[in-house]
Amino acid sequence: MSEDPLTSSTFAERARVQLAKPFLREAVPRATDIAVRDLRERFAGHDYDGLRELGREIRARTMADLEDALATLTDALVANGIHVHHAADAAAAREHIRRICRESDAARVVKVKSMATEEIALNPALVADGLEVTETDLGEYVVQLDGDRPSHIIAPIIHKTRAEVRETLSRVAGRELPDDASELTDFARERLRDAFMDADVGISGANFGVAETGTIVLVTNEGNGRMCTSMPRIHIALMGIERVIPTLEDLSVMLPLITGAGTGQLITSYVSMLSGPRGEGEPDGPEAMHVVLLDNGRRALLGTEYQEVLHCIRCGACQNVCPVYRQVGGHAYGWVYGGPIGAVLTPLFLGTEAGGELPQASSLCGACDDICPVKIPLHDLLLQLRRTRVDDGAAPWRERLAAELWAWAWSSPRRYRVVTRVGGEVVRVMAAAGLMSSLGPLGRWARGRTLPTPARRPFHSRGERDV
Amino acid sequence: MSDRTQLWRMAPTELAPHEDALTRFQTELERAGGSSVCVGPGELVGEITATLAAAGAHRIALTADLGDARPVIAQALEIARYDVVDYDAVADDRAAVRDLDATVTGCLAAVAATGSIVTGATGAGRAGALVAPTHVCVVETRRLVDGLASLMRLAPRLGAGSMMALQTGPSRTADIEKTLIVGVHGPKRVHVVLLDGVLDD
Repeated sequence: MSEDPLTSSTFAERARVQLAKPFLREAVPRATDIAVRDLRERFAGHDYDGLRELGREIRARTMADLEDALATLTDALVANGIHVHHAADAAAAREHIRRICRESDAARVVKVKSMATEEIALNPALVADGLEVTETDLGEYVVQLDGDRPSHIIAPIIHKTRAEVRETLSRVAGRELPDDASELTDFARERLRDAFMDADVGISGANFGVAETGTIVLVTNEGNGRMCTSMPRIHIALMGIERVIPTLEDLSVMLPLITGAGTGQLITSYVSMLSGPRGEGEPDGPEAMHVVLLDNGRRALLGTEYQEVLHCIRCGACQNVCPVYRQVGGHAYGWVYGGPIGAVLTPLFLGTEAGGELPQASSLCGACDDICPVKIPLHDLLLQLRRTRVDDGAAPWRERLAAELWAWAWSSPRRYRVVTRVGGEVVRVMAAAGLMSSLGPLGRWARGRTLPTPARRPFHSRGERDV
Repeated sequence: MSDRTQLWRMAPTELAPHEDALTRFQTELERAGGSSVCVGPGELVGEITATLAAAGAHRIALTADLGDARPVIAQALEIARYDVVDYDAVADDRAAVRDLDATVTGCLAAVAATGSIVTGATGAGRAGALVAPTHVCVVETRRLVDGLASLMRLAPRLGAGSMMALQTGPSRTADIEKTLIVGVHGPKRVHVVLLDGVLDD
């Protein structure tokens, strides 16, 4: 990807491209519906809301004293023989990882799916250093082969058809693979098995870091997380500093939340709890383990009105229920995080210059708030970001002028009456003449909708007799 | 609200009071795509052999967490003409690990509410329960814990070493058009033999 879609195009432009793909608009709602249905099924007879509240409380308590939790985590990691590195931004994180690879004479790297590594654009940097990098999550592998980007936090190729996956894998195989998801998976399994066995370094993210025990927790279904942290000589985990949780007891609350909200499973097939390199007498495992703690804009949110976005555990549930995401998919958001959480994180991490318009891409229906496993008030945060954008003067002048005129007209009863009277009359005449589509921006809205013709007299000006 | 003693009301990963742990374990494991059977000490070796035969496995690795039962199982499998190795002896040999058809492991614990088995780096190793297409796990019924909360309380005392892992059923993916496929990087078949007794006898 040579140019940054965020700065070279608008959300509307990107959305139009995505909306033109019929498969996307069918597949994304179908796949996300399954995830939401399974979540409800798994929690039937249980108090999901109560558990969310426990989760929220754990996250809020941790964020209230994040530095303390991080200090405990760091001490425990070090005591476990893990090397800890601190990265203030994406460049620093890339540099740490590149240096570790260089110093361990690595040639081949295998990766566990990780949004944090997407966030710091790690792969191109490693490839530029001459390393052979292989993504080992099936979906991420296909994304990598296509030079594409993941379009959902936990279902990276939700936007691709089986035929497209087959085409990609057939290219790698050098022969036509059968049009069967199971056989395609078998092919990828064999290919990736070689990658695991030959790799020098395994790089993962971290779903959680448990402070009291110095444990990195990885939650996966395919088993690639286990393989990447078992076979290679070196394991590097890149962890956003906000992913710390205080205790193992907290993990017994957070695990059902992340797997439930993420995939609708009671628990994923694999949960790995990693507390150091291969120990004395253990038959396998890496010689060295590194944890890179990534700030990249997170600390700056502490103590602000956006602090709660740090509670996010990257489950993707808000994407599944978002009416905007379900139509346009993840790529329309232009960066690594899509959906409601992406519309909040992108401007906060990259600045309003690049992602400032994303909070507009929401109907503010609040479905994201209702499903979020840690109760992040996403739609409040979206509104706050919109407000900030207006205060900063970053909103387009026409939008500001319209809002100001509207505020002026509706803040006095007399003006309100005049405006609705005149406005209603104009709309009535134009609708009758079929001219709605020539009403400028209003016309664009009216296309594809049938406007009811306004009544001859507004309700407001009717007397009791008329009602 | 912080009453975690009532966690089972909220979380499906806990056991309800008076719920039968063994039944729940078997139900959840099956739901996750695995299978299980309960046997007495005298039936253990026969059950393992039958499972491996049904899976068409030939090259088998046994892990250290089988304890004193390991040589006994190994001997029985050798008599039945299986190619048997100790996982710890071949773990560093990538080609040998790749060739394994099945592994037989013990476990540190099993979680009733989720149907999960728990292995440690010290016993089954990081990948002992993961690398082969078929995994047979021997779970002594005394190792069953109720739910995730009980497991996490117990975890520091399990002696798992540098890694503790929960495994629930076979490896799976739904990346391609949300079609569930079993057996990606981990085993395709997971069979749990619940032993009513202890391995070291």
